[in-house]
Amino acid sequence: MDSLAARSRGSRRDQRPLRQRLADASAPYLYSAPALILIVTVMLVPLVLGISYAFRDIQLLNPFSGGFIGLDHFKALSQDENFYRALRNTLWWTGWSVLLQFVFGLILALLLDKPFHGRAIVQALVFLPWAVPSFLAGLNWSWLFNPVVGPLPHWFFALGLMSEPANILSDPQLSMWGPIIANVWWGIPFFAITLLAALQAIPRDLYEAASIDGAGPVQRFISITLPFLAPTIAITVLLRTVWISNFADLIIVMTNGGPADRSQIVASYIFTQAFRRLDFGYASAIALVLLVLLITYSMLIVVLRQWLVSKD
Amino acid sequence: MASIDIAHVQKSYGIHPVLHGVDLEIKDGEFVVLVGPSGCGKSTLLRMIAGLEAVTEGEIRIAGKRVNDLAPKDRDIAMVFQSYALYPHMSVEKNMSYSLRLRKTAKDKIASVVAGAASKLGLDPLMERRPKALSGGQRQRVAMGRAIVRQPKAFLFDEPLSNLDARLREQMRAEIKKLHQDLGATSIYVTHDQIEAMTLADRIVAMHGGIIQQVGSPLELYDNPANLFVAGFIGSPGMNFFDGRYMVSGENGNFVLTGGVVLPLGSNANLADGSRATLGIRPEHVVLGAEGPNALKATVDLVEPTGFGIIVHLKLGPVAFKAFTLDRRFLGMHGDVAVRLPVPNLHFFNEEGRKV
Repeated sequence: MDSLAARSRGSRRDQRPLRQRLADASAPYLYSAPALILIVTVMLVPLVLGISYAFRDIQLLNPFSGGFIGLDHFKALSQDENFYRALRNTLWWTGWSVLLQFVFGLILALLLDKPFHGRAIVQALVFLPWAVPSFLAGLNWSWLFNPVVGPLPHWFFALGLMSEPANILSDPQLSMWGPIIANVWWGIPFFAITLLAALQAIPRDLYEAASIDGAGPVQRFISITLPFLAPTIAITVLLRTVWISNFADLIIVMTNGGPADRSQIVASYIFTQAFRRLDFGYASAIALVLLVLLITYSMLIVVLRQWLVSKD
Repeated sequence: MASIDIAHVQKSYGIHPVLHGVDLEIKDGEFVVLVGPSGCGKSTLLRMIAGLEAVTEGEIRIAGKRVNDLAPKDRDIAMVFQSYALYPHMSVEKNMSYSLRLRKTAKDKIASVVAGAASKLGLDPLMERRPKALSGGQRQRVAMGRAIVRQPKAFLFDEPLSNLDARLREQMRAEIKKLHQDLGATSIYVTHDQIEAMTLADRIVAMHGGIIQQVGSPLELYDNPANLFVAGFIGSPGMNFFDGRYMVSGENGNFVLTGGVVLPLGSNANLADGSRATLGIRPEHVVLGAEGPNALKATVDLVEPTGFGIIVHLKLGPVAFKAFTLDRRFLGMHGDVAVRLPVPNLHFFNEEGRKV
């Protein structure tokens, strides 16, 4: 009975002319085609091309390169000491940059949340570093750290932090800290802006209710401010982590990964491989590894978030 | 439970004075309602008692102790906010127990007190919910529950019902009153709704422009308003006012309305001959359809049935006024009608607006 009904329904549809049926069936695809074509050409084609480089031998200076070499790049990568160091440096660089940017950004946002005279001007000034191009910021800080033109080494020396006014960017033990400090300076406004916006969205009467309920400033911060900020903190930290671990500008400008690759992170190592050693294939292989790591990290955060939300 | 004394309290923001010297004594267990139009300073006064606003001048004492410089948490008062100010990330139970947890009260004590308050307010089935999963009335109850668990010296209410719809407001009004009868706690309640003020208060404090206009029981304010502001603010529909002049002829006083209509009073009012004055009468005291020697001829403008009674908008010459009647005969009324303003129900206010 069912199949009979289906057939009769089908035959009824068949009564429409062929052209009509074709047009009806293809309409949704035609409507979505412009957007799909755009997405595919703009996003997928470069991605697939880039990934394909990782499995090919592409060296700009070698006209005979370009052949498919399978997993050779990855085999080389697994034995590349510089890559492992860059990976460790990436963790170090990202961890300290995000942590310090967040802590200082939060403190700044809390200070700017209190009304005081001239707050508007201070707010505008505080957000200034964000507007400085990263290359300019990098150059500026590398000069500040340079004992010939910059004051910082002399100040550190005067404070007794250094035995002589040297450039920390050329010290293998400390060179990583130069770009980290520049990055913290440059990135604080991002956290300050977003956290300040979140702070100002907290209803004031909650603080009043809590103070009547008997909460002091610290308890009010813990039981009202933090829970309200938590979603913003989670999303900004996630964003900045991905962003900073990919952010090679400051390192390229300030240390160029040196001395002796001591301040190389994965992103700057990719840049070095691609544009200094001109080995695009190997650079693509490293980039692919970085991509996988960052996707894993993002998925982990998403899962964690889901778990936290479902726990409520 | 405690008394609250407010002595010569002033408040100004910069150079703008908001409260001009407020004196008020609130007895232990009393339910006092501060009522007035928005901007009259009633909320500011309440927030000063709570410690959320600094006192510019004067003194506030709770249970005889000066609290001007105490932080809100050290004043041992509880407050219900207009927005309820419930902690959105805490369950109902956590909201209610927050103040006790901060005071490091023993766990079993907290549980029993919170359970007691919850059952009193009918919140038992909602204890695990977040505020956003509650209706307006339920949130209101949680806010009250949060206030009563602590057994504070006084409850402060800042327009707690204004976010509810009319039906729910009526219901919660009764619940607040019942709760006060149960607990007998000193309560200060701020509202701009004179019905809430009338129904809830032991004493009403009518405020206007940062000055207390009159303090008294609800019926005192209704029957015997101290000035034009209180007379006009308390009561709905509001009192009718007629401007005019008080004239004495022989033994009797007359009130000459601005339009020229003469109202014989039959006795003397406490006014100087020929002085300008305002006559007030509540709409329900205006007698409609009363032929007689003292009857005035008014024109019907509009008839508003409220279901319970009828509000008749009338015109006496150029002056508009209202009458309220329960008699449904007047529903279809139009044209001219004879009205009487019974002398015992008249209020007179002198040029400064004070009752005489």
